[in-house]
Amino acid sequence: MEGEFGVPTAPMVTARFADYVIRDGHTHGMNLRWTFPPYPVAWVSRETLYEYVHGDDPVTGVPLMTEVIDALTKPLTESEKNPEILERPQRPRLLEPDSETNLQRLFLENGWTDGLPIVLPTEERVAEMLAGTDHDPQEVVGMMSVTTHEEQKEYTVEKVAVNAVMAGARPEHLPVILAIAATKHPSIPSSTGSYGSMVVVNGPVAKTIGMNSSVGALGPFNYANSVIGRAWTLMSINFGDARPGDTFMATIGNGLSFTNQSCAENEEKSPWEPFHVRKGFKASESTVSIFRGWSVLTLGLGTSDGLLQSTKTFNSMGTYTFVMDPLAAKALKEEGWNEPGKLSEWLAEKSGSPFLRPEGINFIVVGGETNPIFHTTDYVHYKTASVDKWMPEGGIKLDEKPLRMPEVHECEDGLCILGM
Amino acid sequence: MSSSHFISGRHWVWLIVVAFILTLFTGCKKDAKLTVLDPRGQPSGIFGRVGAAGAGMMANRNPDTQPTLSHDELVPLRMAPRLDSLDNKTIYLVDTGFAGGKEFLEEMQKWFSENMPSVKTVVHIKSGNAFVDSPELWPELKKKADGVVFGVGG
Repeated sequence: MEGEFGVPTAPMVTARFADYVIRDGHTHGMNLRWTFPPYPVAWVSRETLYEYVHGDDPVTGVPLMTEVIDALTKPLTESEKNPEILERPQRPRLLEPDSETNLQRLFLENGWTDGLPIVLPTEERVAEMLAGTDHDPQEVVGMMSVTTHEEQKEYTVEKVAVNAVMAGARPEHLPVILAIAATKHPSIPSSTGSYGSMVVVNGPVAKTIGMNSSVGALGPFNYANSVIGRAWTLMSINFGDARPGDTFMATIGNGLSFTNQSCAENEEKSPWEPFHVRKGFKASESTVSIFRGWSVLTLGLGTSDGLLQSTKTFNSMGTYTFVMDPLAAKALKEEGWNEPGKLSEWLAEKSGSPFLRPEGINFIVVGGETNPIFHTTDYVHYKTASVDKWMPEGGIKLDEKPLRMPEVHECEDGLCILGM
Repeated sequence: MSSSHFISGRHWVWLIVVAFILTLFTGCKKDAKLTVLDPRGQPSGIFGRVGAAGAGMMANRNPDTQPTLSHDELVPLRMAPRLDSLDNKTIYLVDTGFAGGKEFLEEMQKWFSENMPSVKTVVHIKSGNAFVDSPELWPELKKKADGVVFGVGG
């Protein structure tokens, strides 16, 4: 409006976002004349809005309407006539050497972690991690930002390895973590609504690296599930430039963000084709699938009527991903739903929602057959990406004695306690 | 029989020296300097931008579909010349789509009518969601407005 159309403009954003928009303006070379009313503006009374309009800008202390009028009428300053675009310097590859204690503090205090202790990415550890792929360490994998408009940060295979080390991962996990990085999706996009994410691994790699798709798969009981999900969050913080209150504005945040519900699909027990096959990959290929939403809406029991009830009861942004135990999926198959795609079509049609489309309804089969339940989530499926392209020629690089947490105790006939 | 019967006085001295060296070594190891790699991404010179008109909100959250702009394409914003005054001017109050924006701008419209009655104000609701372009709006504003208030973000 200002530059191309020559119309003087007075933009307004609530005071909560003052720093955010001013900084954004500097990176884009825009010296806009902002006015900042108090917040919130949404869902407050007319009386409150009246007071806002007749009161002061809480950031500058200037009467709000004086500021609006000045924004449109006060002559331009020299810096407004000659704006500059801020350029950010490249970061060094290595940090200043220091003791372990000081470096742990440095990473924590700079906001480069998730608040939990990390494994420091020494040159030796990163070099060891890089044995998990044949790709050149300096190959660019992608770029991302947790915002929709700030400068995106570029990352290489080596940068991904650094964050994988920090998460506590081993070289065997690197191809999966690289596949996630290559989607360029941050797990914690900056939305005031506070997104959560999920990553689901399909194909042979899940078993090779010991992922859990059975009892407690989405919980804290599996090394690979945990470090892969955690690496995604660390990459999102460090590549996506997530800084709470600056670039990251999720007002509540989301507890799913620590490990992003990282799991493998229970392909062995699922009565349906694996999820990645339904998205066009071969069963023999390994993939990661990226989902994003806000929440797990409810626990469901029963069959297609239960699913339909969920779509009618819980409002979503037009997407549902049902995370279901294999027993629930088998019950649906017994009902006649041989293809999940047909079930999606039926639900979209019967839900009565004008926003719901079959492609917006997905099913993931995970769990250990202890209860035929499903979790209704509002997740949208964004992307399924290949893991295989990141694998070394000789296959997954396993440690001589791979680290494994206790395996899920499978006791299908209920007689294990008797030692039978 | 006590242990001192098995270790002579000279041996005790050696034991103390070894223990001292071990303590020193352990202490040094703890404070040894490590070289670690920077975990942060590098500035790419690529920025995201608003979605195309009609694009869904999710599309602008998808790196595969969101339009981008390179640093070289960024042009420092030349601000428009300001108005001498708002007297007898037409000011469009454009609601960008965040909740409460329209109601806020209506209160502002009342302020103008009470305090600067010569100013003509028009509350206008931007088409599409707050994150996508509205290409039809900009020439319309150019044609009809002397100045614009955009709000309220947040």
